[in-house]
Amino acid sequence: MSLARLGIARAAPARRAGRNGAGRSLAWLVAPLALVMLGGYLAPLAQSLFGSLHPNTPAGIDTARWTAANYARLADPYYAGVFLRTLRVSLVISLVTAVLAYPVALYISRLRPRAQAVMLLVYMAPWLVNVVVKAFGWSLLLRSNGVLNEVLLRLGLIDAPLHIMFTELAIIIGLVHGHFMFVLLPLWVALSGLDPNLRWAAGNLGARPAQIFWRVTLPLTLPALLAGAIINFTMNMAAFATPAILGGSRVRVVSYVAYEVNLVELNWPFGGALAVALLGITLILIALAQRLARAGGRAATAEAA
Amino acid sequence: MALRLFNWIMAAVMLSPILLIIWMSFTPGAMFRIPLEAFSLRWYREVFAYPGFVNAFFLSLRLAAAAAGAAVALSFVAAYALARTRLRGRAALDALFTAPLIVPAVVFGIAMLQFSNRLGLYNTFFALVVAHVAIVTPYAVRSIAAALRAVPIEMEWAAMNLGARRGTVLLRIVLPLCARGMVAAFLLCFLMSFSEVTVTIFMTGPGYQTLPVRIYNYLTDQVDPTVAALSAMLIGLSLLLALIVAGLGGFKEISK
Repeated sequence: MSLARLGIARAAPARRAGRNGAGRSLAWLVAPLALVMLGGYLAPLAQSLFGSLHPNTPAGIDTARWTAANYARLADPYYAGVFLRTLRVSLVISLVTAVLAYPVALYISRLRPRAQAVMLLVYMAPWLVNVVVKAFGWSLLLRSNGVLNEVLLRLGLIDAPLHIMFTELAIIIGLVHGHFMFVLLPLWVALSGLDPNLRWAAGNLGARPAQIFWRVTLPLTLPALLAGAIINFTMNMAAFATPAILGGSRVRVVSYVAYEVNLVELNWPFGGALAVALLGITLILIALAQRLARAGGRAATAEAA
Repeated sequence: MALRLFNWIMAAVMLSPILLIIWMSFTPGAMFRIPLEAFSLRWYREVFAYPGFVNAFFLSLRLAAAAAGAAVALSFVAAYALARTRLRGRAALDALFTAPLIVPAVVFGIAMLQFSNRLGLYNTFFALVVAHVAIVTPYAVRSIAAALRAVPIEMEWAAMNLGARRGTVLLRIVLPLCARGMVAAFLLCFLMSFSEVTVTIFMTGPGYQTLPVRIYNYLTDQVDPTVAALSAMLIGLSLLLALIVAGLGGFKEISK
């Protein structure tokens, strides 16, 4: 899904637009879907935005008064701490994923087309499996009496079981796995699009393989890597089910707290403010990623020309 | 060589939780022990004996079918209009139709919780269908637009020359010509709706839950191999649907 966030999958322009105004009468056909999306998607979002600007009173939401207090409350040490933890964990996940995905993308891009398709399918498999099911699988692996501990104990590598469940590490493992494809695919696209002559020319001029990688391949694919990592970061930040199952209430992230505020405390104005803050950070980062992806596209074509 | 080894390790890590669940689902005992000698289908029977899972499965099925059907039908006419006209504001429409790919699911979930409550539609099938239609619309619009690009406009001209009206052309010419793409779009939307968790968790109270939400709540409560058996079946279902969609060429427009 997030490749779309990079603007890679932008809808192609209409190749054959209607002629002689015959098309004009067709235009109303977009209306049903547009109305559903306006009423069922945009309206709820707008309603939460406006709701977050009203104070929450014991009698309910006071729609007569406007306030920024819900946003000021985000700076509370507790909520600021939750945001900082979420950002830190998301950043670690993105960095780890970038470092792990690069060699994999490099390897896959040099395979024959058929082998490439098969390998990509393997890395896409986690995306196809339900997020709750994936988290359950990791909990089986990571529990104190889980498979990982059992194997390590039997091999004599550890004396006591490792406690990974309900820590930041568990969330990191689960999300590196769950969102791996969203860094791998843009990287693979960028690496497959590199002109093989560049490597050949660099080698011809006496560059060693390591030099070719650090001075040619990596710089040319860096925009794709950064863009993928940023998209990955926004997904990590907003993930709900994986951190809830693997981290739970012991490692609260923003989405978990948003759930508690909205469904346990029933404080919708503040819950709306949490949602708007999350959306704001996401949109800013995605704009940045799209700019990087475009710059990368330009650099690659300029370089190849 | 090192790259190759690394790739195989990473591939193994990617598949390990999935394969582990499938293996564990055949354990005979109530504890999670990797079955090495014994092999049992006991927990598969348990899944069908637990009404919570069976009911949730049928709710998910109805929801996914309704949402995918509505999204595909609406997206078909919308994508056709977008492909055959020069609409002003098409960039805005495109942004509206693909926004669910960008706005985090938690944000939409919170918005839907508050909105459906305001309208008195909280915990209703209707609200769930509307939310799921919005969630799967980007996939429907994208894949149907791709299928429409393969429809030769000359066929439509020919039909209209022979006196067919626009509606007839749409149903008798265009629809059959991109039937493959429509089926792929429907299955993709079905898969997305069926596995949706985050928005649905925010929108449903106890007693009215889709299958993934039921599993989520079950996991936070207790853990026994029933979930493993159910998960193994869900993995099978997802992979089956994905293979059909891939076979119909439905992933090309989404992932490129």
